[in-house]
Amino acid sequence: MNLYIWQMKLLLVEDEKELAVSIQDYLANNDFICEWVMDIHQATDKITSHDYDCILLDLSLPDGNGFEILRELKSQNKTDGVIIISAKENLETRIEGLQLGADDYLTKPFHLSELLVRIQALIRRKNFNGNNLVRYHEIEIDVLSKVVKVNGKIVDLTKKEIILLLYLIGNENRVLSKAAIAEHLSGDMADMLINHDFVYAHIKNLKHKLKLAGSNNYIKTIYGTGYKWHND
Amino acid sequence: MTKKLIHKTSRAYLLFSVIVVLIIAPVFYFVTEQLYIEDADEALTLRKKEFLHYNRPHFKSSDINVWNKFNRDIKIIANTGTSRDSFFYNHYYDTLDAEEETYRELNTPVVIEGKKYTFLARTNLVETEDLIVSIAVLFIALLIVLLLGLFFISKILSLKLWKPFYKTLAQIEAFEIDKNNSFDFSDSKIEEFNRLNQSIKKLITKNISIYRSQREFIENAAHELQTPLAVFQAKIDLLYQHTELNKEQLEIINALNDSVRRIKRLNKNLLLLSKIDNKVFASKQKVSIQKQFEKLLDFYSEQAQSMHIGIEINLQEDILVDTNSDLLDILLNNLFQNAIRHNREGGKINIQLADNSLSFSNTGEPIALDVDKLFRRFSKSSSSSRGNGLGLAIIQKIAESNNWKIAYTYEHNYHCFKLTF
Repeated sequence: MNLYIWQMKLLLVEDEKELAVSIQDYLANNDFICEWVMDIHQATDKITSHDYDCILLDLSLPDGNGFEILRELKSQNKTDGVIIISAKENLETRIEGLQLGADDYLTKPFHLSELLVRIQALIRRKNFNGNNLVRYHEIEIDVLSKVVKVNGKIVDLTKKEIILLLYLIGNENRVLSKAAIAEHLSGDMADMLINHDFVYAHIKNLKHKLKLAGSNNYIKTIYGTGYKWHND
Repeated sequence: MTKKLIHKTSRAYLLFSVIVVLIIAPVFYFVTEQLYIEDADEALTLRKKEFLHYNRPHFKSSDINVWNKFNRDIKIIANTGTSRDSFFYNHYYDTLDAEEETYRELNTPVVIEGKKYTFLARTNLVETEDLIVSIAVLFIALLIVLLLGLFFISKILSLKLWKPFYKTLAQIEAFEIDKNNSFDFSDSKIEEFNRLNQSIKKLITKNISIYRSQREFIENAAHELQTPLAVFQAKIDLLYQHTELNKEQLEIINALNDSVRRIKRLNKNLLLLSKIDNKVFASKQKVSIQKQFEKLLDFYSEQAQSMHIGIEINLQEDILVDTNSDLLDILLNNLFQNAIRHNREGGKINIQLADNSLSFSNTGEPIALDVDKLFRRFSKSSSSSRGNGLGLAIIQKIAESNNWKIAYTYEHNYHCFKLTF
């Protein structure tokens, strides 16, 4: 199901080929056109001649630091959204990146599902100002006011359940491992997870509440592995 | 029991001096006595010679009584039968002092006017008793002076001579490889100490550089692993999307996913350790333990719940500590993790904040852990693969960098980690 009115244009700046291919692959059957370049030089050419909805930017590139692209965007007065994807995990780099105009920072390694919902969130923030809605058939989520409606009727969901719902819908038709879901739900605390059993409880509650509100059952269980949001 | 060097040398000096005095004193006594007797004998012989030479030629038998009357120590007495010079000891009663006196006596035959007499010469000797007492007093005095002298000299010397040594010692004692200590191994005038200082300086410099390069290596290795791990994770995420996976294949991917998750965590912990080493978390502020603690409570309550672990919290007082809040956060996280990870299904966790200390007690394997190995990196005390062996090392590192104390005890089936601020 198409979440956007038109196709989103993405630019991936990443020198690790296998990672780039995987990201392209994962994003491909969604609503994105994802172009891939390997260095600052090519990236600069691309951003000069095109506007992107989102740029996925690695920092350590063969011909320099990815921050140069952020400066280039700034000097060209471009408003492309930028998500930094970097192996560097320290506060200074993160702060510097955000100060230079990046919108988000994702540390390698990450789950592709996590990257996808971050891209979606960024595009929502940029394109649908004031009216940040996610719709899926009978379900409607107002991301800002945290209100979920099924067939126009408000469903009482907890904060965690809303986060889970957005994550599942965002990764429609994709198998999500319990670990990936648990990490997404835990946010900053993802590294501290000891077990993922709590995911089951949240899924069960969400399923139950949506069913009571009259929604179809879109959450499929992949035995022993995780879950998938799927409309059959 | 160890003693200071000066005690050892002083004891050796004392022992040696006493032995020397004990041996020398009797020898000295006998030699002195011998010399004294020889001297006395010589004097007596001289008197005999003088008598024979000056007096005898015109000595008459009628003179004997007069002579004996005026000479107390040289007498002519009736022949005792001596045929030649004979020296011996004799005792006479001194009526003036009313005591026995020891004399050395010489008897020798002498002929006066054709009649045989015995010539007697005697000299009063110092009493043996007096001699022994005098020598003993002398030697004891000598011993005392000697020992006092040795003691003070070695004391002053050890203060002066050993000063550079103690300075070096103090510096080594204060040395910690992960801190930037500065060293002052200035040259002393003593060759041995200079050599010692040079060797220690070399040793320390080498150790620091090895330590640094090892630290850098861990950091770089962990960093370089992040990208291949990202590929690994991404490929697994993609693999899950294949629609015609059977159960067996899914299980393999699940196992891979679990492994990559563990490597990710291990790698993050390694990076964290090197960050702490590199003083990334240096800024400090006043932090409330209670507030920091409560932020984590929801997350870990949920984690504990799925293992049916009950958490009992007893925060009697809040403690404000001057520290880096990120580090404190990591520390609390690891204590929590530890208490849950190594717990058993349906176990208990007891958390107490009181008396300037925070303690986490948890049920678990009913056997005390080996304290020596506990805080070392990658030392796993149980065979379970639940932890990566870095949690406690991180806890200790953070405690150390804040000068806090972390202690482990096992009591009443509870493993307790107590952090004292």
